[in-house]
Amino acid sequence: MITTDLTMALPEIFLACAATTLLLFGAFRGEQGASFISALSVAVLAIAFGLIFLGNRPEGVAFGGLFVVDAYGDYMKLVVLVAAGFGILMTQRFIEREGMDRFEIPVLMVLATLGMLMMISANDLMSLYVGLELQSLSLYVIAAIRRENLKSSEAGLKYFVLGALSSGMLLYGSSMVYGFTGATDFAVIGENLSVALSTGGVPEIGLIVGLVFICAAIAFKISAVPFHMWTPDVYEGAPTPVTAFFASAPKVAGITLFARVLSDPFGSLVGEWQQIIVFVALASMILGSLAAIKQTNIKRLMAYSSIGNIGYALVGLAAGTQAGIEGLLIYMTIYIFMNMGTFACILSMRQKGTMVENIEDLKGLSKTSPLMAFALTVFMFSMAGIPPLAGFFGKYVVFAAAVDAGLTTLAVIGVLTSVIGAFYYLRIIKVMYFDEPTASFDKPIGGEMTLVLTVSSVFIVFFILFSSPIMDGAALAASALFAG
Amino acid sequence: MAELWEGYALPTIIIVAQIMAIVGPLLIAVAYLTLAERKVIGAMQLRKGPNVVGPFGLLQPFADAVKLMMKETIMPSGANRIVFIMAPMLTFILSLVAWAVIPFGEGLVVSDINVGILYLFAISSLGVYGVIMAGWASNSKYPFIGALRSAAQMVSYEVSMGLVIITVLMCVGSLNLSDIVMAQKGDYGLLNWYAFPLLPMFVIFFISILAETNRSPFDLPEGESEIVAGFMVEYSSMSFALFFLGEYANMILMSAMAAILFMGGWLPPFDIAPFNWIPGPIWFSLKIAFVLFCFLWVRATFPRFRYDQLMRLGWKVFLPFTLFWVLLTAGVLVGFDLLPAAH
Amino acid sequence: MIIQALVFYVFAAVTIAAGLMVITARNPVHSVLFLILAFFNAAGLFVLMGAEFLAMILVVVYVGAVAVLFLFVVMMLDINVEKARQGFKKYLFIGGAIGLVLLVELVLILSSVVSTDVSVVASVPIPAIDDVHNTRALGQVLYTKYVYLFEASGMILLVAMIGAIVLTLRKREGVRRQVIADQVNRSREEAVEIKKVSSGSGI
Repeated sequence: MITTDLTMALPEIFLACAATTLLLFGAFRGEQGASFISALSVAVLAIAFGLIFLGNRPEGVAFGGLFVVDAYGDYMKLVVLVAAGFGILMTQRFIEREGMDRFEIPVLMVLATLGMLMMISANDLMSLYVGLELQSLSLYVIAAIRRENLKSSEAGLKYFVLGALSSGMLLYGSSMVYGFTGATDFAVIGENLSVALSTGGVPEIGLIVGLVFICAAIAFKISAVPFHMWTPDVYEGAPTPVTAFFASAPKVAGITLFARVLSDPFGSLVGEWQQIIVFVALASMILGSLAAIKQTNIKRLMAYSSIGNIGYALVGLAAGTQAGIEGLLIYMTIYIFMNMGTFACILSMRQKGTMVENIEDLKGLSKTSPLMAFALTVFMFSMAGIPPLAGFFGKYVVFAAAVDAGLTTLAVIGVLTSVIGAFYYLRIIKVMYFDEPTASFDKPIGGEMTLVLTVSSVFIVFFILFSSPIMDGAALAASALFAG
Repeated sequence: MAELWEGYALPTIIIVAQIMAIVGPLLIAVAYLTLAERKVIGAMQLRKGPNVVGPFGLLQPFADAVKLMMKETIMPSGANRIVFIMAPMLTFILSLVAWAVIPFGEGLVVSDINVGILYLFAISSLGVYGVIMAGWASNSKYPFIGALRSAAQMVSYEVSMGLVIITVLMCVGSLNLSDIVMAQKGDYGLLNWYAFPLLPMFVIFFISILAETNRSPFDLPEGESEIVAGFMVEYSSMSFALFFLGEYANMILMSAMAAILFMGGWLPPFDIAPFNWIPGPIWFSLKIAFVLFCFLWVRATFPRFRYDQLMRLGWKVFLPFTLFWVLLTAGVLVGFDLLPAAH
Repeated sequence: MIIQALVFYVFAAVTIAAGLMVITARNPVHSVLFLILAFFNAAGLFVLMGAEFLAMILVVVYVGAVAVLFLFVVMMLDINVEKARQGFKKYLFIGGAIGLVLLVELVLILSSVVSTDVSVVASVPIPAIDDVHNTRALGQVLYTKYVYLFEASGMILLVAMIGAIVLTLRKREGVRRQVIADQVNRSREEAVEIKKVSSGSGI
């Protein structure tokens, strides 16, 4: 019994043990160990990736229903691990240059990743909460890691205070759901609800309020409008590679969790939550595209861009169908690569040994470093959704699912906002190609950056050619979510 | 009317009588503990100690008490009045309420609750509030430094104390104090007391209660040579007397806790003829007196710790060691199948 | 039963009053002290419910440790309450509105509870308090049924600890630390040098 449970949670257990070992190792090794621990952390994530991808774990629930293993979770875990691996890879060089190389950073990132995997596998309101807390707590610390820097401390504090508030909302909502359904287990909640609804009952208002609170809390974690206020400040204040990490892996984990919570226990309340998701998706898309226009700091711009992207992903969730979830999965996969690639470019924006982060500083990049300019162009075009790049397919699948589900207005507004969004993505391309260069960036950008840049741009450009494994994986994952 | 008498009035009277039966002797014990302290330390330093008031100085504590009560209560002008007055009262009350769960003999206990040891631990962890409130409310530097020292010290040593208690609890399988005592009853008499199988834990527990009661060599909160009298600088008269009473009553309480956890409570050292004629409460008092003697002995022997050494000892020595010992005990209990049966 | 009810109302009333004082007291230290009072009374309520283990743990952990450190910090900070309250009026309206909405929601929920079909609710078996006392009951599920949550909470606390150390530990230059091992390992030869001094000539 317990052996099966442990086998099913093997990747998580491995990550937990590895993180504590790395921590001990770092503590004994002292300050010099940071880069070594960083490399080890990437290796650890790679092994976890292998355990999920190759390991033949039994599917089903473990630990008395607290933990679930299915194709849906596995797919998203792989995406999260890739994102986290890229994140750690990009961090090391940066923290060395900035003189803040502390071995705790990669260890905390591994722990945050562990939290994300636990969120994805959560099958109970309680395990949802502990996973979410593990992830958030690690992220609060990483955001504030540059403690002598006012902006970083502010970012950490803001993130922490608002995050604590959202955790409170989650708990409040969970307690209400527990009170009205008598269970915290997703399967039991779903069963109780469908039994109650099939006997002609209407959902209790208290249950709906609880659901709304849970939605609000998760929307906060994925920074969907109207719970996005913290995003620009935190993204701007946190060290850039940390921002890259924030914008990718936690979002994937959060939205995965969101989809699981809404379709698993509350699947029979689709009419109730659909309107919430439609509103949140609309607001995120509109705000993400409009507010980004006047940004001059590229990290803030990416913050609004990530808000917008979450909006598009939520369109898939709003559809409430299997095709919608499939779209969501594909969208998030592509988003990770676009995001990581863009941040690799941002991280390479160094002039005379210091970071610059204004859009102005990109002037004439095509002349000073044409390859990087090309890569950034690819990412921007992809974000804008221009075919045949990957970003187009991401948007296409979610909008198609929304139209199929009868949410034509939502899809139309989505297309309109992505046109508006294209404006500021194209503006960056314009700055790079048509403005005169003022100063060139430091070279070389480093092996890790080159790797991340190459992998992401190859993925984005050639997605059209080898999309079928990802499409198939997503389809399998989505059907797993709807089978249960 | 009869119902009122039987249901409410009579139990109340009984409880009040029980409380009186504990508090009265306790206060006298506190009074004579102060005398014992001066006598014992005097003897160790080849002095006579107080010997003028009454035969052998036996009336000295009462003379001290009368003196303290006659003095004027001084309230510093910048003090926070309510908190300032509440602090000594809190210290004193806390040192008394804990006695509710202490078993003096088999069945001789006011309230035999299931989680007795946790109650004791909780009350002893509250003791810090008296000190910290006094230090803050005095609105003066030395008391404040004393309060901060005390807060950090007590919180630090509580951790290892908790782990020590956990070790004992694992051997007993119950949180009830009477059960803890009875679990130490066995064929080998004295050797069954946890002080022997868990000797290292007993030593750590003893050192931790020195720190928990702010006694020498951990009396930094009041360290008179550097911060005059710490949190008690501004206190005088009755409020000072309450602190004094509280501190000594706490010492007795902690000694009683040590006697229960490690020295078989009211059990005689050997369950044979001359020993088991003597009633349990007397054995219990003797054990408490022994631990108290060790308190005084330590005070007469060791110099005061430096603050960083104090913290180092608590966090870097006791905490890892007790943690290790908890694991070891658990391992032995499981490995040799010695786990206590469910009560 | 009358006494129980009376005690309940005393604990409950003091908890609420103390909670109110926490947010209205002008002096932050008083606020913390009232918070402690509230914790204490909450522990009393737990005892009344027969959850004596939780009550004691609440006192040990929250009152005995967390609140002490909290008080420690609040006492050391020189908080200007007047300044902190400047925004109070500005946010009173919006805060009040949100509070009102929540209140209305709660009332709606409470009124709907009355009509709830009881058969749907509370399907989880709870062992009766008489069968097994709650310390044992908690122990029986904590390391078996909920071991996953227990371990996960352990990880969360580990992260909190790492975070606290990372964000506060400063390596200061030029601090001389006591290394006890070095002190103990010092031998007489390296500590003192004995010289023969011939009389009358000085060193």
